[in-house]
Amino acid sequence: MTATALPDDVAPDEREPGRSVWAEFRRGLAAMAPILLGVAPFALVLGSQAAMKGLSPLEVALMCGLNFAGGSEFVAIELWRSPPQIALIAGMTLLVNCRHLLMGASFAPHLRRLRPWQAALVLFVMADETWALGMDDARRRMAVTGRPGISLPYYAGLAVSLYIAWVAVTVLGAVVGPVLGNPHAYGFDMAFTAVFLVLIRGMWRGWRRALPWPVSLGVAAVTHLAVPGAWYVPAGTLAGLAVAYFVAGTETREAAP
Amino acid sequence: MSDLARYFALDVPSLLAILAMMAVTYATRVTGYLVLRNRALSSRATAVLEAVPGAVLISVIAPAFTTTNPADLLGLAVTLAMACRFPMLPTVIVGVAVTALLRHVL
Repeated sequence: MTATALPDDVAPDEREPGRSVWAEFRRGLAAMAPILLGVAPFALVLGSQAAMKGLSPLEVALMCGLNFAGGSEFVAIELWRSPPQIALIAGMTLLVNCRHLLMGASFAPHLRRLRPWQAALVLFVMADETWALGMDDARRRMAVTGRPGISLPYYAGLAVSLYIAWVAVTVLGAVVGPVLGNPHAYGFDMAFTAVFLVLIRGMWRGWRRALPWPVSLGVAAVTHLAVPGAWYVPAGTLAGLAVAYFVAGTETREAAP
Repeated sequence: MSDLARYFALDVPSLLAILAMMAVTYATRVTGYLVLRNRALSSRATAVLEAVPGAVLISVIAPAFTTTNPADLLGLAVTLAMACRFPMLPTVIVGVAVTALLRHVL
């Protein structure tokens, strides 16, 4: 029960006695729970759209279970013809998911102590949500233990709950989708925004470190309005990183005597 | 065709497209890690990598900020204010509830 008794801003040391693998796993399940609220309506919509394009529930389960990257699945279903144009779908999947390159790179220091097969599995289920919560937790742990590294059972809790929910609810959407109304009316899409805003708040390290954020937001928003598709994610990300690069450069110069 | 057979239908072109998606997506997931796994980074490169999460997350939700629907804008403002002060769960519940309410009222 120590998992629930701890305030959520205290990062437990992995060597802390009494904190079992199971408690860490449940902590992961609990952390993912509010996000599932936001994910479920998207999964329902994706599943029902896939069914309208002629995919069977089995095909929906395979796509969501093997690819496990929601944004690219929405794009693929949007482009789906019978038979599907494989090169087009693979190309668009690459574009939508190229942010994973940066996510995997920033995750790398926290995965160094894992065995190769563990790292391979961790990366297979690395989605926006598991990565964001996993990084957030790893950062808190580093503040306590002084070294990088994720809590594997915590991450497993995040990943298992998101994976099961994503596959199960998209399949549900494919089976019952046409009967449902529009989930937009219930405000569930705001859950995503809320979760991401809270995560971003947790990354606050002063004004200087936050300078990339308004730039990313502005560039992504303008790109979203001007360019169709998911280009706004790489555009906003790269603009923010350019700002971070220059901010880091001025810091180095100021630190020099 | 029976319902059950329809649920488990799987044709070869669809399977190939799904496998192609899997291969491409997994490649994007492992490449960044493989390239940086055994490399020491300059402090500037570390600072840029540390900025990745915030830049990605804020870019992903940027479309929400482009709405011209007053209900969505107000809902977003309330959610943003909540996110600055409160933990995850209350922020999500209040954000969703207020947005749903505003969409019905406005």
